[in-house]
Amino acid sequence: MSLGVDPHQGVERLSVPVSGWREACQSALADGERFCGAFAGGSGSGRRWRALFARGASTRILSTAPEGDELPSVVDFLPAAEWDEREAHDLHGLRFRGHEPLRALIAHPRDASSWTIPVEGEGVYEIAVGPIHAGVIESGHFRFHVVGERILLLDLRLFYKHRGLERAAEGQELAEGLVYAQRSCGACAVTNSVSYALACEAVLGLATSRELRRARTLLLELERLYNHLNDIAAICAGVGFAPGNMAFAALKERAMRLNLSLAGHRFLFGSVEVGVSRLDLPSAAVDQARGELRELRHDTARAWREIQFAPSVQGRLDDVGVLGHDDAARLCAVGPVARASGLRQDTREDSPALWYGSSFAAALPPVADGDVAARLEVRALELVEIFSMLEELFATPVRPDEASSAGPSTSIGVARVESPRGETVCVVEAEMYRVRRLHLRTGSYANWPSLVLATAGNLLPDFPLINKSFELCYACVDR
Amino acid sequence: MNALAGAIQLIGGLALAPLLPGSIQALKARLQGRRGPSPLQPYRELRRLWGKSLVDPQPTTLLYRLAPCLVAAAMILSLFLVPIAGLSPNWPLGNDAIVLVGLFAFARFALAASSWDTGSGFGLMGSSRDLTLSVFAEALLVLALILAALPVGSTDLVAMSSAANGSAAWSQPAHWCAAGAFGLVVLFETGRQPIDNPDTHLELTMIHEGPLLEYAGRDLALLQWSAAARHWIILVLAAELYLPHWGGFGARLACLVGGVALICVTLAFTETAQAKMRILRAPALLAGGCLLALVGLISWLVS
Repeated sequence: MSLGVDPHQGVERLSVPVSGWREACQSALADGERFCGAFAGGSGSGRRWRALFARGASTRILSTAPEGDELPSVVDFLPAAEWDEREAHDLHGLRFRGHEPLRALIAHPRDASSWTIPVEGEGVYEIAVGPIHAGVIESGHFRFHVVGERILLLDLRLFYKHRGLERAAEGQELAEGLVYAQRSCGACAVTNSVSYALACEAVLGLATSRELRRARTLLLELERLYNHLNDIAAICAGVGFAPGNMAFAALKERAMRLNLSLAGHRFLFGSVEVGVSRLDLPSAAVDQARGELRELRHDTARAWREIQFAPSVQGRLDDVGVLGHDDAARLCAVGPVARASGLRQDTREDSPALWYGSSFAAALPPVADGDVAARLEVRALELVEIFSMLEELFATPVRPDEASSAGPSTSIGVARVESPRGETVCVVEAEMYRVRRLHLRTGSYANWPSLVLATAGNLLPDFPLINKSFELCYACVDR
Repeated sequence: MNALAGAIQLIGGLALAPLLPGSIQALKARLQGRRGPSPLQPYRELRRLWGKSLVDPQPTTLLYRLAPCLVAAAMILSLFLVPIAGLSPNWPLGNDAIVLVGLFAFARFALAASSWDTGSGFGLMGSSRDLTLSVFAEALLVLALILAALPVGSTDLVAMSSAANGSAAWSQPAHWCAAGAFGLVVLFETGRQPIDNPDTHLELTMIHEGPLLEYAGRDLALLQWSAAARHWIILVLAAELYLPHWGGFGARLACLVGGVALICVTLAFTETAQAKMRILRAPALLAGGCLLALVGLISWLVS
């Protein structure tokens, strides 16, 4: 075993022989560390299977060399790694002993039995939805096994938008690789860019300045603002409550117009760069932004009251799509979904490379029972928090700034950033200032298996509502 | 006068029916803070669909092909049954309320059969929900009609409409109960919230829209017109039998127009203020309507 600790970045790398892989993962979990992704790194004979574990702000990377293409699976005690192993099988030809059956995830075989779980019994039928939907929804295929109106099981087939972005980024200069992470998704563009930039800065041994941290946090919170407004609107649409849907859709539009006026792009594309921030907001601009945000805050509070006092809406939310605390922990759920289930998991609490101080505390709903109502409540609570943070972030003009050299460069950088949907993990492996391997595991990727679990046992017509209460991305999962 | 009533039955039903869902949509948009489409939008939709070619899913049989015509035919026949301002020419079909119930059931069956024919998941899901709820809704419709028929002892809609004329009917508790029960029939048959959501694009939540997903072109135009005609028939019936009206033909015609407009506005308001209810609670709502109608029946029998 070799040990290389870099205390400045809070990243610990640990090489493990393949025979001790399961024990190493087990002991990491036993130490109270949280699994946050596994992926095939390295290349050629240096190919490694890596798993990431986090505790507080520090991250541990376990690596092992596969025997040929074979590895021991960990899904029996770590079900959160299921998708990671299936992905590595489809994209990198790795095989996992003990992961039986290893169903296709990214590959789309014609034979449905190769990717669905067989369900048999009297009166069981299947409903197939998508990948083309009646509304403006991303492409994903849902296969419901149903009795009457009750869902027994949901099978997912995503990755219709798999563009091979990770592979395409390989060989690019570090600064140019950013667009591959950014454009993997519209709604998480800032999180993806910031996580990529921080991973690159870890590789380059750069330390972020206070101003740089502030500019990035500001963009992250602007992104969270319009996403949360959108998600509340979507939940209203899920129960057919048009006034709430329209009110929050209008608020989201105003938030996006604010994005446009501040950063020149409604989705904040192109606002983050590796090692530098070019965001330049003179005092007139920040004053105007604060004024607009105050109005938005007032109108948001009013629209939220409308929903709270609509009994027909409230009657639809309780005990629907329940994800229990233990299930959320077992599946390593992240973001608002985890917090609605009572898990205290918010990467913003442990983000030294961003502006959030030690005073930041994750917003947990008073009744965190993991249903649609709790997931809605989390977003409303976070909106209050976001408005307060933005008020503070916009207190003084924002100046361009750049990161400064603080240490030697390394070959692998990891960053974890809280997206509107949960923790996004970006790993950059570099060689001669070029990307050798990029891996992006977004909050949506971590949460899709939880959605499947939360859906089972619910009514079919309630699925759109449950789905919207998770409101996960497809594009940045598919990459 | 009879001839004028007959003309309104036919022309009104055929030409004015799409205006009802159109104006409800337009008003709803205003209530939700949107500009929204004009009330004439359903006519544009019909024109667009009428000009499109037909696409048949394979394999399907004659059932699928005929269903839109059968549904539309049932609605056209129903138009003749419902009197306008208490008058109806002596159509050979008569004006029996039970025939109306039968025609509605026939239309529902034809559409459900078409879903079984295509075997599409969404169509079958919508149809099976529609059929399940119609067990309650048809009982409710029959009960409400019986309550309106009791004072005259006949299920002839012209006679029933005359019995509801003036203020005498409102001294009977049974009439109030019948009006309340029929309100739920209006919600169900027009596919409105809180029972169904006519605006949704979420296939999994659909009831009335589900079976329509398989249709295109003229077939869809026929089905959409039928849905509009269903609005017309149910709303006119509601105004004729259960809303206040009095006087001669002219006055009653004005009451009819006012009544239908009032129901449209009410529907737009309830649909704006109410979210859709959980689907398993809809039968309970309709069954509650049945109870209300039964209370009305008992009050009639004891008085």
